[in-house]
Amino acid sequence: MTANLRIGSGSGYWGDMVDPAVELIEKGDIRYACFDLLAELTVALLTRSKMRDPAKGHIPDVEQILRQVLPPARRNEVGIITNGGGANPSAAALVAARVAREIGHPDTRIGTIEGDDLTGRLDEIRATGWKFTHLESGEEDIDRIADRIVAVSTYTGSEGIIEALDGDAQVVIGGRLADSALYCGPLMRHFGWKFDADDWELIGAALTVGHVLECAGIASGGMSSQWRLSHEPWRLGFPMAEVSEDGTAVVSKLPGTGGVLNEWTIKEHLLYEVHDPFSYLLPDGVVDMAGVEVTELGPDRVRLTGMSGRRRPDTLKVQIGYEDGYLAEGRTMFPWPDALEKADFCEQLVRRRIAHLGVEPEEMRFDRVGWDALAGPVAPRPAPDAQPNEVELRMVARCRTRREAEVARRAMLLPATAGPVGTAFGAPLAVRKIVALWPTLVPRDLVPQRVRVDTAKELLDAHRS
Amino acid sequence: MPTVHDLAYVRSGDKGDISNVVILARDAEAFRRLEHGLVPETISTFLRGLVTGEVTVFTLPRLLAFNVVLRGALGGGATTTLRFDETGKSMCSILSRMPLPDGGSLPVASGQHHGGPSS
Repeated sequence: MTANLRIGSGSGYWGDMVDPAVELIEKGDIRYACFDLLAELTVALLTRSKMRDPAKGHIPDVEQILRQVLPPARRNEVGIITNGGGANPSAAALVAARVAREIGHPDTRIGTIEGDDLTGRLDEIRATGWKFTHLESGEEDIDRIADRIVAVSTYTGSEGIIEALDGDAQVVIGGRLADSALYCGPLMRHFGWKFDADDWELIGAALTVGHVLECAGIASGGMSSQWRLSHEPWRLGFPMAEVSEDGTAVVSKLPGTGGVLNEWTIKEHLLYEVHDPFSYLLPDGVVDMAGVEVTELGPDRVRLTGMSGRRRPDTLKVQIGYEDGYLAEGRTMFPWPDALEKADFCEQLVRRRIAHLGVEPEEMRFDRVGWDALAGPVAPRPAPDAQPNEVELRMVARCRTRREAEVARRAMLLPATAGPVGTAFGAPLAVRKIVALWPTLVPRDLVPQRVRVDTAKELLDAHRS
Repeated sequence: MPTVHDLAYVRSGDKGDISNVVILARDAEAFRRLEHGLVPETISTFLRGLVTGEVTVFTLPRLLAFNVVLRGALGGGATTTLRFDETGKSMCSILSRMPLPDGGSLPVASGQHHGGPSS
């Protein structure tokens, strides 16, 4: 019988709290802490920063995170697994090596996983006849955006993590490793679950556990309908799971930490950002949640049973980031009286000014913050005689060129000086470049992972020479 | 008329231009009434103008839960949308105001949506 594995959540996003991770590593009796640091657009933005400086392109916070978590992780023999390598895992590994040396552990073994970056391989793959069909719109190939592509990254699975752990890595750093893979990898290695054996149901269980843990505090009180029960949310306890060899798990958080973890926070997260719950496609398998049951065992303690899964897909998901114009935004506020009428007046002022200067934005939007900025056309209309204390007009325009966006941006400042009395304004916002995403697929066998494991000292010595 | 809010806890998330709204029935009776009321066409009508694409409802009886998948829901997706709520975190609250048919004279749910999508 294989002993249970305790695995903890270190981070759910770039910018997350770090102290809950330190607390879990110090007191959670966990074997691994996993740090998801990437959102859908992140790799495209990081690729840009790598183009400007080849030593960059990873999540810069990797350095300060490791500085905090590596000392207790080395002391308690907790493995650190992260996708914070972003667009440049080897640069992140070098950062990790420097931190390891600083804290007196130059022997730290660092695993680096690469291969998910297809930015330079698009032509080669298209030459095989593969088409990068848009997963949502169905548009057949990328000809329309080919000259505007910034980055191409593949959501990759657990193999590289397993290989790095087999090489005794204590820190594993990859690029666009799927969030769930950060957890599935160590679970598969610990229990000996294999892709080439008939372990798909257990891998499905590992992926489900990973899915529940991957957003950290969002399963233990954050973003929750249970917010009133979430005490001391400024020091959330991150979730951890004790997984058994039958694939069931108990999810909990450390006693005395903030937040709340109950049936509802786990169920909310189980389906979070899932589409078909009976066929949730991930790089390591297809998760089926039809049989999942969630049982509260006690305060901040929930059992997960009935997880399952099927064979992994032959394709991997790819995100292509491409430049798609410029965005101008302005915000202004109107006081009582007649705040809504003043907002209408200024919407016309801005629209007509932009047209007057001969600019035609591709899309424009005017929100009355407090009335309809979130629900848009679904929001109930204000009564005709409504007199709110104040209303904010939020103005946004998407333009093809930066010049047009600048025209729109300046027009959005005009309510302050050409609008009604009492109009309030703050610091103007800058024009932003838009990077759009093109979700698509690639055959799995075209994207092999490259794994190496070195000590911190070896990495630093090689870098010097 | 009761609303989704009266019967369920909700949360939404995004992937590209797709929003999914998790609806967790507060108990078995609430689940039965939600199952009757969470009809894709009704949801589509309620969200008209905000959501432009197909609506699919997945039913998970063991979890007393529903996953409502809304396509064309986020003004093009988080990185390109002009909306303040780029990732549609508030979509759950918007949908939770949807009225549901009153529970009194409900027929027993057919069960044909169990375990599968309806769209």
